[in-house]
Amino acid sequence: MTDLLDFARGPALQFSLAVFVFGVVWRLVSLLFMPRLKDKSAIRSGAKPTMIAAVAEFFRRMLPKPEFAKRTRFTTINGWVFHLGLAIIVLTFAPHVLFIKSLTGLTWPALPNIVIFAVGGVTVVSLILALAHRLSSPVLKLISTMDDYVTWVVTITPVLTGLAAASHVGLRYETLLAIHILSICVFFVWFPFGKLMHGFLVFLTRGEMGAQLNRRGIKL
Amino acid sequence: MAEPKTLGQMLEARGISRRAFLKYTSYLASSMALTPLAAKAMAENLASARRQSVIWLSFQECTGCTESFTRSFAPTLEELIFDFISLDYHHTLQAASGEAAEEARHIAMRENKGKYVVVVDGSIPTKLDGAYSTIAGISNLQMLEETVKDAAAVIAVGTCAAFGGIPAAAPNPTGAVGVDQLVTDKAIINIPGCPPIPEAMTGTISYILSFGKLPKLDHLKRPIAYFGNNIHDRCYRRPFYERGLFAKSFDDEGARKGWCLYEVGCKGPTTYNACATLKWNGGVSFPIQSGHGCLGCSEPNFWDKGGFYNPLPAPIRDVGKVAAGAAAAGAAAGLISAAAGHARKKNAMKEGKS
Amino acid sequence: MNLIDNTPIALTGINDSLLSEIAERLSEFAQTGQSASIDLRSLPMSDADRQDLETRLGHGEVEVKLDVAGLSEIWETSFAGVWWVRHFGGDNHITAEEINIISVPDILHAHQNDARAAASRLSKIIKEERHHG
Repeated sequence: MTDLLDFARGPALQFSLAVFVFGVVWRLVSLLFMPRLKDKSAIRSGAKPTMIAAVAEFFRRMLPKPEFAKRTRFTTINGWVFHLGLAIIVLTFAPHVLFIKSLTGLTWPALPNIVIFAVGGVTVVSLILALAHRLSSPVLKLISTMDDYVTWVVTITPVLTGLAAASHVGLRYETLLAIHILSICVFFVWFPFGKLMHGFLVFLTRGEMGAQLNRRGIKL
Repeated sequence: MAEPKTLGQMLEARGISRRAFLKYTSYLASSMALTPLAAKAMAENLASARRQSVIWLSFQECTGCTESFTRSFAPTLEELIFDFISLDYHHTLQAASGEAAEEARHIAMRENKGKYVVVVDGSIPTKLDGAYSTIAGISNLQMLEETVKDAAAVIAVGTCAAFGGIPAAAPNPTGAVGVDQLVTDKAIINIPGCPPIPEAMTGTISYILSFGKLPKLDHLKRPIAYFGNNIHDRCYRRPFYERGLFAKSFDDEGARKGWCLYEVGCKGPTTYNACATLKWNGGVSFPIQSGHGCLGCSEPNFWDKGGFYNPLPAPIRDVGKVAAGAAAAGAAAGLISAAAGHARKKNAMKEGKS
Repeated sequence: MNLIDNTPIALTGINDSLLSEIAERLSEFAQTGQSASIDLRSLPMSDADRQDLETRLGHGEVEVKLDVAGLSEIWETSFAGVWWVRHFGGDNHITAEEINIISVPDILHAHQNDARAAASRLSKIIKEERHHG
């Protein structure tokens, strides 16, 4: 006799974390060891060391170029809001800190629940705005694939179910908690195979881009 | 034989007033979160009720439930329950033993056919036809079937009788189960806990006596009056949880200051019981007040939920080993993918040259 | 030496909402005669909260001690119609504690049956005294 919460905390978490780790490692290793075309062009004079160029590019892309600042203001600000929001919720809500501690042994102080609630609310609104923007911008809508929508759903669901669980609305707490954990399991399973993988790939793509541009002497 | 007296007449003869009934029922109504109006009605009904025959069957158990039940046997208010019920069979409490004890059970069953209440504590072993536990030459399984047949209702007290309890913990060598897995054609009330709160037992029995029906039950057949709220929602340490103030170990500053015990494994958020409000030993304290997290003893399988000191958000299965395996497999798969890429590249270059 | 017992548990702030609840019920009682009762035991109150509530409500004109299956203490708070009812069980621990908003708490009324039993007892005593006298 086992209930939904036992299933979520047991086999579901075990399975989804295994898929997550497998998928992420698989994609990263295959990417890093992939055959690459050698760039036979000479390094331009005045080019920075490759590693520095790569790291610089990662940070440079955190803010838009001044020329585009006005046009991309919404995406920039909204993007920052939900990314920071998600980070705060995931990393500083007491039960999440405990979850991470149980997996990694690492721990740090948590924030009061009221802060998490506020951040959670803002994050949900921000994610909804992101979807609205995607659907209302013709270009963005055209280039969006099913992957984008699935990614959006698996991202917002844990936030919504988490808020419901923490505030005990609707169902009994253990059921809400089980649903929340299961929604995270779905997130973990989807992560390596969809656009969520940018959480890891962003470092490689930006770095690689920075290295290449640097080699070719492009001033940024 | 004289007309059996009502409880009111019986106690009147002993000089116990109706005020005592009212006091008793307001104590119970409070414990069941009923309105004071209900206490008044309950007192009237109880006074006109007949004494209830109760047959108490003890199976695979530790007698802790009986200990808890008799803890309400203080020489005042709480002892009234023993005036309201006629405990016709109970190994630990009855004077008779052996044949005489079994005879008492049979007489009670005969004389109160269809009207007696069976209380069960302890789980029932089912493996080897129930040979793991026998009383008076018959298995617990047989005794349960035989006794329950003509009962009005069955009350399973304690987590063992309700859900199998400690005897059913993995790997459950005796095939222990709770009453409701065996008895399917009777009204069953589960009053789990290890042990259950005495008020939950006496209150439920008194409720049946005064209203002539079962109290409202939840999906696990527990009276909602006692098992309707989770410990966490009613815990006096809850404000610390909200503020993010946690004891990190049992002897740190947080523990001394009485902060929330969530991080040291408290199962309050997923445990439904009345400990936080009724408390124990007549309202003296309860585990969390004494500095230990809730074990979740009124929930099914509480002993197999990943450890008493594991916090709720932690996975209950070993994730580390599986994750390490997954990482190794992922790395291997990645290298195979990369090697395949290299092979393709080699082939393409060969073809390009030829 | 019990560290936990010595730990002062701060006021949780529940009394502010409790007092407005009492005020609301009291004005309803004053207007319509509708009595009400608040069960203090089922609320997540700390001992400090209980103390604080008792101080804030105060003691009024009436104070009653009952000896019914253990002790009971009932007093009218400094607000007429608001009664504090405290029942003790064995070992003098509190088994029930309520705020009653009513003219007189029910338990103070003599029950008809008790009166009947008392009447027959009294006449019996008188009869016996006459007989012996």
